[in-house]
Order: sequence, then structure tokens, then C-alpha cells
Amino acid sequence: MSSSTELSVQLITECKRSSNSGTLYKYNDNLVRQLSREIRVLDRDLTALLSSVSHLPANEIPHPELCALTMIQTTIERDKRCLLAYHQFRMSMLKDMYWAVGGALPHVLNDPDVRGKLSPHEVDFMREYARITMEYRSDLSDVVDITMGIITPPKDIHALVIVVRDCGVVTTELGAIDFQKGQRYLVRRADIEHLILQGYLEEV
Amino acid sequence: MLLPPPNPSIKRDSYGEAYQSIIAKHRRSPMTSASSVVILVAPDVDALCASRMFAELLKQDDVLHRIIPVSGLADLERMKNELLTYTELHTLILLNMGSILDLPSNDWFGCFEENLTLHVIDSNRPQNLSSLFGSEDPEVDKRILIWDDGDAEKLTEEKKAWESILYDPEPDSESDDSDDDLLISDDEGDDEEEEEDDDDSSSQVGQKRKSNSSQDEPSPKRRRKEERAQARAKRKEKQEAREARELHEKIINKHYSVGTWYGQAASGIVYALATVLERIDNEILWLAIISLTFQFTTARISRATYEGYQQLYSDEVARLNATFPEDAIPGDFEGIRTGQELRFTLLRHWTLYDAMLHSSYVANKLAIWKERGRRKLSGLFAKMGYSKSHTQQNYQWMSKKGRDELTDKLDLYAPEYGLVELSYPSFVRHYGHQRLPMGAADMVEGICALLDVGGRVKILAEVAGTQNGGEWFGGGRTWEVGTRWRDDDKENKPPQQPAEPNSNGNKEDANDDAKVPVPWWIKNFWAAYDALNNVKAVHEALFLSMSIHRAIIREGCSIIDKQQIKSMNGHRVVIITQGPDLDLLAQPATLSKLALWLVDSHRDRVPGTTMGRSKRKCLPFVVACLDRKAGSYLVVGVTAALEDGDVRKNLFGLAFLDAKEICNARSRHGTFDTSVIEINEADLTMFLQALCNRPNA
Repeated sequence: MSSSTELSVQLITECKRSSNSGTLYKYNDNLVRQLSREIRVLDRDLTALLSSVSHLPANEIPHPELCALTMIQTTIERDKRCLLAYHQFRMSMLKDMYWAVGGALPHVLNDPDVRGKLSPHEVDFMREYARITMEYRSDLSDVVDITMGIITPPKDIHALVIVVRDCGVVTTELGAIDFQKGQRYLVRRADIEHLILQGYLEEV
Repeated sequence: MLLPPPNPSIKRDSYGEAYQSIIAKHRRSPMTSASSVVILVAPDVDALCASRMFAELLKQDDVLHRIIPVSGLADLERMKNELLTYTELHTLILLNMGSILDLPSNDWFGCFEENLTLHVIDSNRPQNLSSLFGSEDPEVDKRILIWDDGDAEKLTEEKKAWESILYDPEPDSESDDSDDDLLISDDEGDDEEEEEDDDDSSSQVGQKRKSNSSQDEPSPKRRRKEERAQARAKRKEKQEAREARELHEKIINKHYSVGTWYGQAASGIVYALATVLERIDNEILWLAIISLTFQFTTARISRATYEGYQQLYSDEVARLNATFPEDAIPGDFEGIRTGQELRFTLLRHWTLYDAMLHSSYVANKLAIWKERGRRKLSGLFAKMGYSKSHTQQNYQWMSKKGRDELTDKLDLYAPEYGLVELSYPSFVRHYGHQRLPMGAADMVEGICALLDVGGRVKILAEVAGTQNGGEWFGGGRTWEVGTRWRDDDKENKPPQQPAEPNSNGNKEDANDDAKVPVPWWIKNFWAAYDALNNVKAVHEALFLSMSIHRAIIREGCSIIDKQQIKSMNGHRVVIITQGPDLDLLAQPATLSKLALWLVDSHRDRVPGTTMGRSKRKCLPFVVACLDRKAGSYLVVGVTAALEDGDVRKNLFGLAFLDAKEICNARSRHGTFDTSVIEINEADLTMFLQALCNRPNA
């Protein structure tokens, strides 16, 4: 029961690998289903066992049955915990990705690499998460823009940036700027912060 | 229109006012200010420094701007066509380009929007007279400002000539026939250029008008005599007008045909601007010093001019930095210092032997390409009392006593070998305890190396400690430009399949960006631009520079050994078709360096010739290098002066154009320098023949 090929251990190992390498793996639907099936199987065993000893009072249940019941119950709980951990881990990775691009959901979802790794539930989760974040952001938008990523506080109104990936013409408060690869611009920080986050511009 | 330098005694519009107008325009239109100021920069050290200084000034004034590097005339045209589509653009600044172009004409910037002002800060001369003194459309003129360093004000003759030709159309030749019927103009003997065309307009009208003096009718015979006299006077006037016109045209032609030379560096002009705005600090001063040293070391200005400017900057340095006596500099001094610099390339960062070997002045006097010459050099060291280990180890590790005595010993022993004037006044910047001080010339070498070669050619840069069989095997590593440009990262894909969207490097290949990589010279440009601030990067670039120098010496020595310098009608021509450094030498900048080295090394050995119309003797040198990939020859022409430290105007720009017309060779000007040209492989010999046998060569 404690072999490393155990399903729940496999899930957790995948989480560990994913967090060590910093990449998101494909949603392991197979494993999740197997684990759920295992839980159900165990549960059936449990109910069967329980029904066989239910007529006895609690302190007279024979020892082997008691042990078996406890074992099965612990295993079920353990499986559940692993499943929850797996999903929680993936959700937090997705949330990090979302915040890393400054709340630009299409950036995350339209990327075919990422999209292929998410389950439909996770996509729904992302959408819903983005929606409630935007709602919250709109509430606070007159005070602070919560999706602006700030690692170090800005020292200047303006930022000198160099274009690393073509982003075409960007309309800002002060007019339209045509960003071309290989040129440098002095621009208002507020206007292009999101472009820096998304990796089109790099600050010099 | 000409923008004169600021002069405190004369109140007139100058740099400061032009700059304020840029800012005012920017502030006046907040809604469209995002892409309203564009700076086009040519790829040389001077323009780089000037652009950095200017960008700094604009940043301090919160003016949003955009810096675009431009590689040559073709690129400039393309850029101009693109810029035509920008409606919000109101200021365009050209650094080290465009002063020879006829800017007000419709080919260039004459057809731009009303609100566009063009500022040209260029050190190339001669300047185009139309841009300076006006074209047919005064409205366009007001918008094109050429920032001048004071030389253009002295072109009074050219100005007069130009204006007279501009404002007086061709005199009619038909007016000669009809003598009697013309009105006599009142200002017969006056200068043509003063007023609009009196006699010309009247000649075009050609009406029959009676002369105003004859109200009453004198006798017909007397009238006829009068009229004949008037007609004769008229004809003489016509004759004079035509002669004057020819004289003016000659003056203007002379202005353009004396060759190309360089005025004050663009950074110098921006420095003057910063002085007017009172925003000088050590950084800006250092950039201006770098530009000046660049102009001197690449033989663009003469030593006398250099010393003049150096004196100015020396005063500025004293104003901004504490002064210490030479041997009592505190260890944590971080600032600029004036001092005498020896003319050995990269002395502080190389070994003494190498530094002397690679400086062209020493090469000339000692004939380094011969084994005998190198032995002479070793002999000089021996006389001065420096052991071989002293001279073959890194200069930094030489004993302090050795370093201090170097100048004195050189003064003592070097004149025997013909090495005089080994030092010149220059500047050094200290960085406290962080690293060794960097000389201005060293800085120039590093930046040039980054700019010209950088990541284009695979070159082995030296690693410190590998000279003379140091500890490491294989004496170098391939030079790499920093990996800011993510399409370089093709090799850095993580091995397993899931590619994280966070690491945007790999995504690039999926987009079309990878298909349009950034051109190599733009990468070099920005690498050099960043290095201006970052001493560490320059230090590393110095190793690259050392490799380049070695390559140049190798090539130069082999050329001289194999006696590949042919003499054609007084011109010295070298054609390089093979060799280990062919790729490296196919760059305009490195080839120019080689040409300068060859010139320096031949200075005393070759008699000068006269070129063109001037009577002064000079040394015309032409170096051609095969560019295998492009299938063409890169040809560089250098007109050097007979004395060291002097410069001549470079006539090769015009010479190339003439030769091209004569022989119809397929060619291309890739850079802003008219004395560098690419000729199709097959046409080279024909071109060289035409070049050297020109009628007025």
C-alpha cells in the first residue's frame, strides 16, 4: 500500500516535478479518474464491512474488522487529500500565470501550449476567476489598478524601453505609438507597464 | 536654415532657443505627444554619444522621444518614407547625417507636414548650401535648422554666390538682339544680388518703351545716338551679369569639390547646448570627451584642432572635478582627470610590448612588419631598462616604479629611434576602487569594437592571462553579444515538451518575429549605446578590440611583406582577396582602420602626390577588400596628410562618383561616408583604372 507506484503518490510526484521544473504539465485526467474509482471501490468495501458489523455496539467490534475499517477509511481520506492537493497546486499555478501577465486572460488562454494542458474545468475556473478579479478591479480602479505588476516601485514617470517583440501601434493617452523592433522609446510608464509585463517591451 | 552657435555678446536665436521650441511644441499638444519627437542616429561613436546626451536632456524635460539607428543613405530614405506617414511627428533630429543632402527639396524633407521641424546636427562637411542659406521656398527653410559650429558663418562668399544664383533667374539670351527697344534700368552699375531682377524682367517683357529722359523730342539723330549708347551699356551689363553669375557658380562648385572633412563633433554641439541650458554634469562631459578623442584617433581632425577643444574640455573637467597631482590620486576618486596620454593603443589594458607594437605611429617609425623592426623595439625596451618579463606582462602588473618612469625614459631614449611626440593631452576617468581607470582613447576603442564588429563576425576575443601561453588552453572564446534579443535563444529550448508560457523566449519562434530578426548592426548599436554607461561592458569589449588590432596588424604586415601595395598614377592601391581575416575586414569601419594604419606606416616612405585641384600634397590610399558573401568589393579611400597629426580633406567621395560615371560600375554606398563604396566583384579593376586615371587626378 505504500509502494511508489501507488496512484496517489504518483499524483503527488507529478506535482513535485511540476513545481521543481516550473512548468505546468498536462492535466492528468487518467490518474484522477483512476483515483476516484479507487476511492469508490474502497468505499464499497467500507460500506460492506460496516454493514456486517453494524449490529454490534462500538466497543465489541472484533479487532480485525476494526483494523480493516480504519485502514480503508484512512486510505480513502488520503486519496481525497492527494486529489485536493493536486487540484489546488494546479489552480495556484494557473493563478500565478494569470497574475504574471497582468490579468490579460486571453494571453493565457489563447496560447495553444497552455490550452492543451488544461482540463475544461480549469478553463472555466480561469474564466470565472478573471471575471471576479475584473469586477473587484473595477471597484477599486479609481484608487489603484490591482493588475499592474509592481515588483520594484517606479522611480520615474517615464521609462526608457526597447522593443523586443513587435507589438504594432499602441494607443495611449498621449497618442498612438508605433513600436518597432530594435528601436528605443521614452514613454509614460503607466501606458506601457502592461506591455512590459507581457514581454513585448523591455525596460532599459 | 543656419543655426549659429550661441554667442553671449550677440543676441540671436541659437541652440537654446531651438531646444526650447522643441519642448514647447511637445508640451503644446499633450494629446499627440507620444510619438512626436524622433531622433535618427548614424552608427558612429560621435553620433552615439550625441544621441545619448540629447536623450538625457529630453528625459530630464519629460519629452517623450524615440531613438532610431540608421545605417546609411538608403536606410535614411526608407525611414523618411515611413516617417511621412506619421501625422503627429513634429520634431525630427538627425545626428551625423544629412548635412550634405539638399533637405528643402521635395526629394527629402520639403514635402513634409507644416508642423515638422527638422534639426540637423552633423559633423560632416561640406554642408549643402541649399539647406544652409535657403531654397526657393522660405516656408520650408524656416523648418529646417542646421546646427552649426561657427564655420558656416564664415562662408560669406558662398552665401552671396548662392543667394544671387537663387534669386536671379537666368538672364535671357534673346535680349541681346533687340538693342533699341529696352528700358534702361536705373541701377545699372549696381550689384545684381541686391534687388529683384530689374533688367531681367524688363528684358522678358521686351516692350517698346520710350526712355524717360526724352519727354521732348530732341533731334532724331541725337536720339539714335543716345539709344545706341544705351544699348551698348545694356549689352555690357548683360555681359557683366553673366560673368558674375559664372563666378558665383564657380565659388559654389569649389565649395563642394574640395573634398569632405569634419567639423566639430555632434557631441560637441550638444555639449554647447547643454552648457546653454546649464545642465552639464560629469556624464555628459565624459561623452563629449569620448567623441572628441574619437575624432582625433580616427584622423578626422588635426592635432591642432584637437588640442584646441581639449583645452576647452580640460577647463570643464577642472570645473567639475577635484584636481589632484599626478601621483597623489586618492583610491576612491571617481571622476575625470586631465593627463598626458601615451600614443600606444590600449596601454593600460595590454602589455607594454603589444601596446607599442599595435600603435601605427610606432609601426611607422620602427618598421614593425620586418623582423628587424621588432628587434629594434625590443632594443628600445632594453635600453630603457625594462626586462622582457616587464614588457610582456600585463601593464597593470608592472611595477609602480616602472610605470612612473615610463614617460621619462621614453623621452630619453625614444628620439633615437625617431619616436618623438609620443604623448598627447587627454583624459582619464577613475572609478574608485571598483576597477582600473579608463582612458578616453581606450573607451573609444571599446565602443568602436562593439559598434563595428560586435556580434556580426565570429571572432576570438582574448581572455586575460592567455597571452604568451598562459594557463588556459585555446587562447580565446567566441565573442557574443548579450542575449537581450530573444530570437537568439534557439539553442536554449528546454529539453522536455512542456514549454512554459512564462518563458517567452520560445514562443517567439512560433510568431513571425523569428522570421524578421533584428539586423546585426542594430544589435551592435544598442550594445554600444548601453556600454557607454557601463564600464564593465567596455572592459570586456576591449578584449574584442585587441583581437581586431591583432588582425589588422597581421593583415597589414602581410600586405607589406608581399608588397601588395601597387602604385597607380600616384595613388596607392591595395586589393585584399584572401586571408584569415577576410570576414572581419569586410566591414567598412575595420577596413578604414586598416587603411589608416597603412597610411600611417607609409607616411615617411612614400612621396606625396597632389590630388584634384589643390596644390597641397597628400597621400591617397585606396584599400579594397573582397566580401565573399555579397560578391562585391568594399573599397575605402583615404586621403592622408604628409605630416602626422595633420588632416586633409578627403577627395575620394567625389573621385568615386567620377570614376563610377566613367566606367559605369555597379556600386552601392552602404554608409553615410562617401569615401566608402561597394563595387561589384567583376567591375573592380575597371573601376580602379578609372579612379586613378581620372582627368584631374
